[in-house]
Formats: sequence, structure tokens, C-alpha cells
Amino acid sequence: MYKSKVIAGIEIGTSKISVLLGEIVEGCSLNIIGLGQSSSKGVLKGDIVDFHDASDCVHAAILTAEEQAGVKIDGVYLAVSGSDIEGFPSEASVNVRSRDRRVSMEEINQVSTMAKGRDLAEDRAVIHHLRRPYRLDNRSVEKPLNLEGDRLEASYWTIHGNARKIGDAIHIINGFNLHVDDVVLSALAAGSVVASDEEKTNGCLVVDIGQGATDYAVYQDGNCVMAGSMPIGGDHISNDLSIGLRMRLSQAESLKHRYGTAVLEHKNKTEKVWLNNDFEIGDRPIPLWSIEKIVELRMSEIFEVVRKKLGTYGRRERLLGGVILSGGGANLIRSDNCAELVFGVPARIGENGTMASGELRESQYSVVLGLLKYGLQYQSKVGSEGQPAGIIGKLKGLFN
Amino acid sequence: MYETGRIKMKVVGIGGAGSNIVDRLMLSNPNGVDLTAINTDEQSLAGSPVLDKYCIGKRVTRGLGAGGDSSIGREAAVADKQVLEGIVKGIDLLFITAGLGGGTGSGVSPVLADLASQNGTTVIAFVTMPFTIERAGRAKVAKDGLEHLREVANAVIPLPNDLLIQESEPGASLLDAFSHADAWIERAIKSIWSMMNKTGLINLDFSQLQQVFSHRAGKTLFGLGEGSGENAAEEALENLKLCPLLHTPEFSKKADQLLVNLIGGAGFSIGETQLIMDRVTESFGKDANVVMGAVIDESLGDKVEICVIGTSDISDISIFRGRKKPLPPSLEADPAELTLPKNRKNKEIHAKKVKVEQDEFSFNEGDPRGEFEDTDGFVFEGQDLDTPTFLRRGVRIPI
Repeated sequence: MYKSKVIAGIEIGTSKISVLLGEIVEGCSLNIIGLGQSSSKGVLKGDIVDFHDASDCVHAAILTAEEQAGVKIDGVYLAVSGSDIEGFPSEASVNVRSRDRRVSMEEINQVSTMAKGRDLAEDRAVIHHLRRPYRLDNRSVEKPLNLEGDRLEASYWTIHGNARKIGDAIHIINGFNLHVDDVVLSALAAGSVVASDEEKTNGCLVVDIGQGATDYAVYQDGNCVMAGSMPIGGDHISNDLSIGLRMRLSQAESLKHRYGTAVLEHKNKTEKVWLNNDFEIGDRPIPLWSIEKIVELRMSEIFEVVRKKLGTYGRRERLLGGVILSGGGANLIRSDNCAELVFGVPARIGENGTMASGELRESQYSVVLGLLKYGLQYQSKVGSEGQPAGIIGKLKGLFN
Repeated sequence: MYETGRIKMKVVGIGGAGSNIVDRLMLSNPNGVDLTAINTDEQSLAGSPVLDKYCIGKRVTRGLGAGGDSSIGREAAVADKQVLEGIVKGIDLLFITAGLGGGTGSGVSPVLADLASQNGTTVIAFVTMPFTIERAGRAKVAKDGLEHLREVANAVIPLPNDLLIQESEPGASLLDAFSHADAWIERAIKSIWSMMNKTGLINLDFSQLQQVFSHRAGKTLFGLGEGSGENAAEEALENLKLCPLLHTPEFSKKADQLLVNLIGGAGFSIGETQLIMDRVTESFGKDANVVMGAVIDESLGDKVEICVIGTSDISDISIFRGRKKPLPPSLEADPAELTLPKNRKNKEIHAKKVKVEQDEFSFNEGDPRGEFEDTDGFVFEGQDLDTPTFLRRGVRIPI
């Protein structure tokens, strides 16, 4: 019998809210059927600061998408990002007990549960456990089942966020009588779309630069091993320009789009451009060098902070697949060159590949596309394993 | 003591950086305002040309300085309380200049400000904040010092060195940047002095100044703009808007009380005043409680200076501590202020700078974060990343 489910990928960003609808047919194929967008209010640096405003904007975007598709949404996948997302490695190990020294399923489950079992502070909620390869007697193995060894180690990168802040976003969706199936870190969603399998195997870094926050994810041997978020983004470039060149934020924003470049191009400090270019009172010439320098300093700093946060994962030899940029920040001219200078590996602007067509190919849609992709995988998992306990299960306790 | 208008004004420089500013005022304007230098470091004080100088806390520091520890500075001040009381006795308007981040500046300033305001003196403090690139400990000392000072002074105007370097020449040394801060504080003090002591087209007197500064523990905004030539008034206004420390163009919305004073040369007409006042009202909005004044200072020639002081009362600690003396009479009728300019040398300095510079003092603790001012900072490796990168790295941006 023909069975389909409509899922929505929703990203509540600092600049805009995107809702992308996908229809999952038979739990295995995905059709994109609707897109709704609204400019964002009440969101600052990736966090919801005005519930009412943000709620209105999200609802407007959901309505547009539903009208376009002509269907109702069954479940929502929500992207999270922003200031309060942190990660830490958690590890555990067990001895292989069986007489033939082969790893059994039981031991794998046991060590995984132990590794994931680390307690968090009360107001924190786990968003993802990213599994790194198992280690069996200090050698790295992808699937340890039935392999011979004495000691099995499991290692996870646990990403957790402020339960209240994530709860706020979920409440907004719930307020529209929709159910949030799961929340996904923005960088992971974007990474699943923009990075190719080959890049993921060789080791690569995905950086999603939004207006209010920058998210990053590192892939190694095909899996995401580390991810995070920080509340610095495109707004900071505009703010720097506004302060440095003494102008309103809207003027700075416009200058950034017209002349901003992530690598200094004009060495000559005398060349100037007009602020508003309307020859009205208040228009004045601005040195191009100043604009470019401010943008360059901020952009390279964003990449440098990411590099430092990655620790040893940010080393060149671990990122042979290169750096892939997505989000609005990737549209800044030469942002890829800037990333190359900081990380010392090739960088490119992410493309959404075969999954998307037309407008959706732009890098700003990577996250919502990734959410749908995630939803597709999740749905097929539900079919085979029953109801998995996602973050929603963990957060439920907080809401009741 | 400057007796004109019967307002007693005094500038006290505290610590090494504070004394430097007083030295500078001494050289450029020796007869203008009463100057005093206070330090805990005897040797450094010995080099100051200021006549009225005090080395305090000798029992605490043996005259060797506070060594960057503000609690030692505070101890020294408390130990020599009588000396400090003598310094502020009978003063109507006290300016304190200090570099926060050092032990003496951060420790002594709050004590002196407290003593003065207990006597009914209006205390305005100009303090420089250390560079981000200086070690983090200094920033902490500075922040604590600023908090203490805000509690006891009527107005505290912090000047972040990060922003001041924006005004210096390309390739300027750290020393140049420091001297820039001194020059700005000097101009700020002179501007307030002119406001109080020159003939008014539209008069602002001491009581109005006091009214603006009646709230304690609030944040203070201070700005100067200067223009010359035919369109001096408009030029000054434009420059005021362009100022580096006035990091948010909508700054005026944040001030509950705004005092705007114009200082023009002899040719400064009431028509010009009207024009500039209209423009100022336009830019600053009519909602704000704006008090305006205009004075003539012959020494300025065809130049016009705008001075903006704004305060916001973020707390309820608004005590308009009544002065024990009656208000001094309005100044405009006093022929004494029509005396010739005191600062001929300074006039030359001004004349050289055809392109006007302006001085501004930001609202928050030397942390110009603009749009993100009200949000939680994102601190990474000891730096607040909301503050523009170019400021934290001391890169000069020409405009």
C-alpha cells in the first residue's frame, strides 16, 4: 500500500526562517514539495530573544510552505545552533570476556551505553552523540563485531545545548500544533548535503556561517567526529563596519554586500567608494581598503577560532578533504580563499548537489535540505527499529 | 583655583597616567584651571612640573608605587585621607583623570571621588581603559576600578585605548596612542571649562550641569566635535557623528539627559546657533531631554566646537546631593569671562589641525560592541569576540 509522510526541515536563523517540506514515500525516497521563508525577528546570535516575534515569523513561513505544497506537515526536524552549544569527548572501555576473545554484540552495546551515560548538568540536553570509530586493543575498527581482541573502547563526541533554549524553539513549533521529531545541529545538517562521501572519508571540515552564528563539523573516515557552534557570524562583520566607519547598521550591511571581500584586494588606501551612492546629503566617500580590511580581519578570525576549537582535528593532515563552506557567509567574495589561508588546505563553497534544483542550489538552503535528508534516514530507521529515543525523549521530562 | 564665575574647578591627576594629563594641561594652559597631581610613586611624581603635588601612602608603599595592585592604592588613599580631604575642600567641580589598570589610578580615584562628593562637589572622572593587548589582569583591575568609581562620582567617562589608537597616525607607537588619550581628556576638560566660563548666547550654568550629572552609577556619554571655516557649524556636527568612540550612531537614544553646548568664535551668530540647534535636535531626537547652550570664545576664531554630555540613570541611586553653598549666579553678565583666551599655545595646536578631530567617550566599560552591547559576550581566549576584531588587534582603520 502506498504510504507517505510529509516532513518539514525548519531552520530558525538570525536573518531568516526557512521551512522546506519533503514527502517521504515508502520510507525510502524523498520529494521536495514546498518552501516557505520569512525574514526573522526576535532572534539574535542564533538565540530566540523575543518569543512572540519569532513565533509569528515561523508560523508565517510554515503557512507559506504548507500552502505551496497543499499538504499538512506530519513531523518537523529542527536545526539548532547558537551560543550555548558545547561538546566534549566521552569514552568507555570493556574487556572482551568470551573464551574465543571475539567481540560480541552484547559487549558493543554495553560499552556504547557506558560511553553515552555521562551525566550532564541539569539544564543541559544532549543533541547528538557522534560516534567515533571503536578501538580494539588500540587499533581503530569500524565494526568490531566478531573481531578478536582483549579490550574494546568506544568513544563519542557528545554535543549538548541549553535545554531551555532548545525548548524555546520546540515550543514555537509545538504552538502550531506540530510535532518535532528531532533536533539536528545546523552544521551536521549542512554537512550531510555539501560534503561528498569522498571528502568525508579523507577528512574534511564543514563551516556553516550564518548571520548570527557559525557552526562547524569535522568528518573523518566517513563519519562526523566533532561538531560545534559559536555565536559569531555575518552580523559581526556588519557591526564591525558600522563601528569602524561610523555608519548605521543598515548602511554597513549594504557596504558589506557591495564591497566586502574576505581577502584584502586593494592595497591602495586612497581608493574610495560612496557610502550610499545617491549623491544626497549624508553620502560620503569611504576608503575601500578600510572596508576590506575590517571584513578580512573578522572573517579570518572566525576561521581561526574554529581552527583553535578543533584542536588536533584542525591539523592539516586530518583535513585532507578540505574545507567546505556553507550558509550566507559563504557568499562573501573570496571567503574560500580566506579559509584556505587559515586552514592551509583547499577550500570550496558548498553545493547542494543532485538533491536540489533551481533556487535550492544556493548555499543558504544547505541546512534545511540536510534536515530533510536526516529525516529520511530517521524515518527508515523508525521502520526497522521501532521508536528511537531522540532528544525529544530526553527533553520530554523537562516540559512536563 | 580658578575664581571666575565663583565656580571653583580643579583637575586632579591620579597615578602615572593621570599625572601625565595634568602635566600636559599645565604646559598648555598654566593659568587656566587649578591643577593637582597625586601619586604613590615618589620618583615619578618628582618629574612632574605641577606645583601642587602629593605623594600619598608613604607608610604603605614607602613611596615606591602601588605595583599594579588596586588594594594597595586604596590603602594608601585611606592612610592619607586628610591630605585628600584638603585637596577637594571647597571645590565645586572636580575633574579626576586617571589611567585605570594601574594600582594607584584604580585604587585612589574612588576614594578621592567619594570624599569630594560627600562635600557636595560635582565629580567628573575621565579615565583611560587599558588596551586589550595588555595583559588580562590589567583589564580586570580597570573594570573593578571603574565600577567603584561609578558608584561615587557624578560622571565617569571611560576612554578605551583600543578606540583611541584609531585616531593616531598610521604606524604610531603605543606611546603615541597614550598621548592621544591625554590630548582628548585635555580638550574635554577645556570644553567644560569654556561652557562654564564663557559668555553665553544661550546660557548653560553650573546648576544645569549638575542637573545632568545628578544621577550616580549611571553611564555617561561625552562627545566633542569641531569644525572650522564657512560651514563650521555643519562640519562640526558631521564630525561629531563620525567620532570613533561614539560607536553606535543612535547613541543619543540611550541618554536620558542630554546636554549640548556650542562654543564658537567671535563671529558666531545667533542664526548659526539656530541652524545647528535645529540639526542637533533633529539628529538627537526630540524625545530626549535635551538641554542646549551656546557660548562665545574669541580664541576659537572661525571654529565651532560642539560638546555633548549625556547621562542615563540605570539605577535608583540618584541622589542629587545638595550642595552646601548657594548656586553660583549665572555667568553671562560677568565681564570677567570676556577675558582673553588663556591658551594661546593650544590655539596654535588647533589651528594646525584643519581636519577636525573629535573625541567621544563611550557608554560601556571600554567595550565597544555596538549592536551586541546588550547581549552576553562570547569570550574566547580572554577576548570578547563581539568587540570588532580590528579594535582588539589595534589595526587603524582610515575613514
